[in-house]
Amino acid sequence: MRVIVIGCSFRRTPVALRERLAFDAAKLTTALDELGARYGCEAVILSTCNRVELYLAQEATQPPLDAVMIAEFLSEIHRVPSQEVQPHLYERQQQEAVRHLFRVAASLDSLIVGEGQIAGQVKQAYETAQARSSAGPLLHALFQNARLVAKRVRRETGIARGHVSVSSVAVDYVRQVFDHFHDKTILVIGAGKMGELTLRHLRHLHPLRILVTNRSPEKANAVAQGCAGIPVPWDALDDALSQADIVLSTTGAPEPIMSRSRFNKLISRRAGGPIVILDIAVPRDFDPDIHDGDRTCLFNIDDLTRIREQTLRERQQHIAPAEAIVEQEAAKFLKNWTRRRNGPIIARLNSDLEAKRQAIVRQLFSRLNGQLGEADRKYIEGAFRLLQNQFLHGPISALTEETHADTPGGSHTLLEALRKLFRLQE
Amino acid sequence: MPFDRITLFCFQASYAVALALELVQLLQPRPVQRLLSLGFGWAGFLAHTLYLVAQGPPLASQYGSTLFLAWILAIFYLYGSMHHKKLAWGVFVLPLVFGLTSFATLFGKPDFGAGDSWWERFFAVQSEKMQPWLVLHVALLLLASVGVCVGFLASVMYLIQAQRLKAKNMPDPRMQMLSLERLEAMNRRALNLAFPLLTIGMLIGLALMRQGMQSGLIEGWTDPRVLSALGLWLVFAILLYLRYGFHVRGKRVALLTLVAFPLLLLTLATAHMSTGGGP
Repeated sequence: MRVIVIGCSFRRTPVALRERLAFDAAKLTTALDELGARYGCEAVILSTCNRVELYLAQEATQPPLDAVMIAEFLSEIHRVPSQEVQPHLYERQQQEAVRHLFRVAASLDSLIVGEGQIAGQVKQAYETAQARSSAGPLLHALFQNARLVAKRVRRETGIARGHVSVSSVAVDYVRQVFDHFHDKTILVIGAGKMGELTLRHLRHLHPLRILVTNRSPEKANAVAQGCAGIPVPWDALDDALSQADIVLSTTGAPEPIMSRSRFNKLISRRAGGPIVILDIAVPRDFDPDIHDGDRTCLFNIDDLTRIREQTLRERQQHIAPAEAIVEQEAAKFLKNWTRRRNGPIIARLNSDLEAKRQAIVRQLFSRLNGQLGEADRKYIEGAFRLLQNQFLHGPISALTEETHADTPGGSHTLLEALRKLFRLQE
Repeated sequence: MPFDRITLFCFQASYAVALALELVQLLQPRPVQRLLSLGFGWAGFLAHTLYLVAQGPPLASQYGSTLFLAWILAIFYLYGSMHHKKLAWGVFVLPLVFGLTSFATLFGKPDFGAGDSWWERFFAVQSEKMQPWLVLHVALLLLASVGVCVGFLASVMYLIQAQRLKAKNMPDPRMQMLSLERLEAMNRRALNLAFPLLTIGMLIGLALMRQGMQSGLIEGWTDPRVLSALGLWLVFAILLYLRYGFHVRGKRVALLTLVAFPLLLLTLATAHMSTGGGP
């Protein structure tokens, strides 16, 4: 069998075209059914915002699928001219295709190396294909392996270590200070777009309450409604700050809203533990001097971005070991697959010759009954076994060599030849 | 008994290997290393336990009380390592366990009084008349010592974590620690537990002092063991006063807790009204 991947990704295809080639649920099922019906191949389609890839497996005897055919197929499904699609498609076959999927699943081919979403997307693509019965034995084995390879890469390298979104880094900081959140108060200052995602992440911590304040009471109400928070008048900012454990500040104020002296006054009213301030406003809302890493931990957008970049730099160091794992696993997969495919024929050939050898030896011994000693019997038996092994060595070696040589249809022809030459029954 | 052949070196070496593996883990993290370290930790703890049972060093001796304190902290280490698998727990707790076992060797192994059962030797004190009260006094001070040690560890971790946050560095995955809140709570609980135990233990000690003076076992108020214990109590009292009276928290409480630890070592080092001394 042959495995092929044909597709396009963020690397050389503009987002405008990727958007047009993306598969929604309805198109995905149609395409999977159509691929099987039209080309008689196994198919899994991976469609994410960064890539559209068709993983196909077909018998070696079938005419090989190529980028031109798939461009036409995609143009029919998405109503995009195939001339537009084809130059963007890449094509990988056999070992290259296996390696490609393993790299994709392990997030080595992602826009942000090590991101965790892709492994789930690969799994989802495979499950959809399973549901449509478009994945056959080769793609089943391949995608199940891809999942294991992705896990191994994450476990054995630091490729996925740390967070790379500003909001996740902010939550990581908060977790360094606080252990539990059910008794914590979050104060949101302002209603900037920048803060929305961070607030969403903070809400996942299940705090006791969320206070929202803004110069505009309407905006405070709107944000409070969106996050099940309590609006607080802007004038009560100092009171709210003295009650808060976590502050998310995201105003558009041109000047800092909190000087060190003002903060020191209100912090003395606090009876609770430390306070964490996530100042993601530009220009900054809080005087950076209030940070002491003990009772007040202030992190601004520069700190969060610095950590994000540091994490990305660190991930780069883990690419080489991750690639080595992918290489090793791809070779292992192909070896196992070859064994699985050739195994039944070799086993049948072996058992067939074994039966024949035993029949001949039995006949010979009965003919020479009484004339042979135990040593002679053993010698004759050994000689026949040696002959059988030498006889099998040639076809098995040729089959293995042909599989590794990867000549189109080569190993399939040999398998057929073996079946016919040795009259091996299905 | 076959366990008689277990020596202090056996468990000290096991703890040392466990600590070395934890330190290597900081440089080159590997899951198998962590497991090995935990294995050596368990081996050390097992040998430690068998040693205490087989040898039964008197709790009231510096040697016995220090080893018993190290044994409780070894439990603390194992518990923490099992519950916080990703944290660099051993890096902090094992040096203390190893240090205390080494500290015990400074006092020398006392004569255990062969023939008695281990618990008879373990709770043995010189003055038969005062035995139950002395045992209680020693046990309370020892438990308070556990509180001091846990408070010390929590404070060290707190200060490192606070320093890391001050520098706005993200935690090194190889040396992850508990949150500031958790460490502060650990310190607070340790002190809250240790102070009443220390106070009751000291009150019993003061009540027994008159008898000790009469029998010549203790010199009086100027006796170093009385002064060191009073010093320890005073530091605790100041700590709690600042903590609850003035709401002093965080780094300042952590730093003050660190001061209590050398005082504890001094208290452990000074002889007690027993055969070999004690807390």
